[in-house]
Amino acid sequence: MSLSTLTKPWEAMSYGFLDGSAKRELRRKMLKSVAVPGCQTPYASREVPMARGWGTGGLQVSLTLVNPQTRVKVIDQGADDSVNAASIRRFISRVAGTPTTMDTLEADLIQSRHRIPEEILREDQVLVLQVPNPEPLRPVQPNMSIARQMHADADYGRMWLQLYEQIVRSGRVMQGASYPSLVHGRHVMTPSPIPRWDVPKLHMAKHLTILSAGREKRIFAVPPYTKVEPLVFSDVPYKVEEHGHLTCTRSGATGFFMNEIPQDDGSSAFEVSDSEWGVKTIRARDGEGESRGETWYKDGEMSE
Amino acid sequence: MAYVATRGGERAIEQSERLFREEMGGFDRQRVEEVKKSLPYLIDRVMGEASLYDEDLAALALAQTGGELYEAVLLLRAWRTTQPRLQVAEPIEQDTLFTHRRISAAFKDIPGGQVLGPTLDYAHRILATDVLQGEGYAPEPVEPAANPSPAYQPSVSAWQAENDLLEQPTPDGTTGNDIPDLTREPLLFPSKRAHTLQSLARAETGGVLALGYAAMRGYGQAHPTVNELRLAEAEIAVTHPDGRQFSAGRVKVSQAEVVDKKGEKLGIGYAATLGWNEVKCISAATLDLNSPGAEKGSATEEEFFLYHTEGVESSGFCIHFKLPHYVTFQSSLDAMRDAKAKKAEQSKSSDMEPAE
Amino acid sequence: MLATPTPSLAETRDNAAFDALLWALSRPGLPRDLPEPGEQSIVTALLDRECLVYAADPLLMPEIMRTGAELADINKADHVFLGAMDTSDPLADIIIGSDYYPDVGATVIVRASIGSGPALRLTGPGIDGAVKVQLGGLPDGFWKVRAARLRYPMGFDLFFVDGARVVAVPRSTTVEEF
Repeated sequence: MSLSTLTKPWEAMSYGFLDGSAKRELRRKMLKSVAVPGCQTPYASREVPMARGWGTGGLQVSLTLVNPQTRVKVIDQGADDSVNAASIRRFISRVAGTPTTMDTLEADLIQSRHRIPEEILREDQVLVLQVPNPEPLRPVQPNMSIARQMHADADYGRMWLQLYEQIVRSGRVMQGASYPSLVHGRHVMTPSPIPRWDVPKLHMAKHLTILSAGREKRIFAVPPYTKVEPLVFSDVPYKVEEHGHLTCTRSGATGFFMNEIPQDDGSSAFEVSDSEWGVKTIRARDGEGESRGETWYKDGEMSE
Repeated sequence: MAYVATRGGERAIEQSERLFREEMGGFDRQRVEEVKKSLPYLIDRVMGEASLYDEDLAALALAQTGGELYEAVLLLRAWRTTQPRLQVAEPIEQDTLFTHRRISAAFKDIPGGQVLGPTLDYAHRILATDVLQGEGYAPEPVEPAANPSPAYQPSVSAWQAENDLLEQPTPDGTTGNDIPDLTREPLLFPSKRAHTLQSLARAETGGVLALGYAAMRGYGQAHPTVNELRLAEAEIAVTHPDGRQFSAGRVKVSQAEVVDKKGEKLGIGYAATLGWNEVKCISAATLDLNSPGAEKGSATEEEFFLYHTEGVESSGFCIHFKLPHYVTFQSSLDAMRDAKAKKAEQSKSSDMEPAE
Repeated sequence: MLATPTPSLAETRDNAAFDALLWALSRPGLPRDLPEPGEQSIVTALLDRECLVYAADPLLMPEIMRTGAELADINKADHVFLGAMDTSDPLADIIIGSDYYPDVGATVIVRASIGSGPALRLTGPGIDGAVKVQLGGLPDGFWKVRAARLRYPMGFDLFFVDGARVVAVPRSTTVEEF
């Protein structure tokens, strides 16, 4: 045996930046996270050439999944051209030679921070969500060891109590994004800081969603056709943001999640948050052809 | 095409990096050499926090980031993580450390003697402003002692253990590849001993100091006495695939033992790191000393201090708040407005109700 | 600036093998193609020196050893290669993880014939309603022993390999025999 059998020929950088052992660990952990939907699987989470908290968890998953044929879309807050989305997209294609796209329908893999695109994802697509805080119990229990015990016991009483207190105090559940949801009837998970608008898109979806928190070193998943139920009381139904009636001032799109843009006169204008949806709507309006796919929401309502 | 016009993301980030680099100017191998030669303690600190012992790479990282320490450590960690792990070195026993400095606050004198070694501890901290006037700064030559102090010594706690003064940690017989590696597996709690020590070894110096200092000031249960503080060089012994053991060189290491009365015996806290970093070792050992039985959620509880002294994670998360959060903000805004509307409606309807 | 690296043959194979495994596990009961017949591509895609592996089939040993993985008894192993099974007994010893860390439950690879043999009805995450699959060559009582061992979320996850085809049955899947 010689030293050379222990290693491999030198290369300046592994394909996809991560070395073989990092990828194998991620593969093993991804399988476990799919096998137990919504359950946080710990992983080593190697450092990558991006700061922690900037999508390193999602990036590690994407880098493990891609090959030179994988068409990659990256969005941040719904936008492909957001600076950090641009940075991540450029990095993935630089270290893995992947083609990129902004069109949701063209993408094989979509890495996203804080949004799920408005067009329905297909069975052959994978959605990778960046997760800042993987622990839905953190607001009621910051200690991770105790929180893990609570998950082990399916002890979600304090979660419910917190929601109940909000209703008593404010007349409604005050949770904004990251709405805690019960997965496969067993594990409460954070869907990552997507708006409430997007959570129903995970329920019994056709695509696989992998959620990865690089800094906190936890990975979890929602396989296709898996129940994802926001925690609600039977007499207080789940409410998404009241955006269904809003119209995008740029594209004229109505019935989707919007960004609110404060105006000088004190009023607000709105523009559609899924930027590529906005672009497609403008193209259709300007007679440049129809490229829009089916959407989860129709006329501002989540379709069954 | 209003949307397309706003698609400046790619260009913006490229130009912003150029701006940063332009202000710093270019650099070359010579600059890296100068950084390495002139800032050895900074190099040590960076190597410790990166858990990567390579002075050239550390100097390169500092030159490349203009001394932005968190960025330098991240550069090194991101480089380190892609390197193959060829071999696991032999464990190092304390009496094999080539010692430059070894002091104990617990005893006036210790076997092998107090070896002060290189330190600024007793220097008068006067800024040498005359250098800016053009004066050179030439250090006085060191006068060698008549009897050189012994280079190899066991730790002070070994003597205490022999005298049955020490609450002995349970020996851990794990060796080689079986030793848990924090960089290859996640930190889980209760933490494996190896993970605790590795995590402290690569912790951010300022973070360890802040929490260690809190414990020293009274937020901990134990009051540290520095049993031993040591700056040394360690021989890295590895085994060639043909079975021969050889030295892969020496690395600078520092370690601290701190003790406190624990019933009739002494409890011990320990920390070591790559490079010479005394503040970090004493603070980390103090946290280790305070950790058994610490209250959940207190600064001396393992989960609390290991998570919050991880420099790459904490600094990354801190600066991530610069990223746009307008979707989550919009979501909260929606809930707030609705709650406000509900309240207004409620008070309107209660106004109309007849008084009881 | 460093040039964009190209994947090696091994990288391409491992990537394709994992793609098949992840797809199969996300759609229990639906077959998918591995890059080559047999367990080898699963071994190289998943295993390295961090793993404890049990292999019933001695022919797989050299490939497993090359990854640096350590051989272990079945009741310690995180990856279990059972080959062609003639009794269900080994299922009794496979680790199922804990309530705290269900992910510690093992990944189990079994040889079977896909599309022939007893029909099964699968329901659970990843399945649109229900899916029917035939898996032959498994020992008597296989599914009963599996059901008895599972305490969701604790359990183990199965991959059935037939040539280059693979079908997965994770612990979250309910299996009914006809």
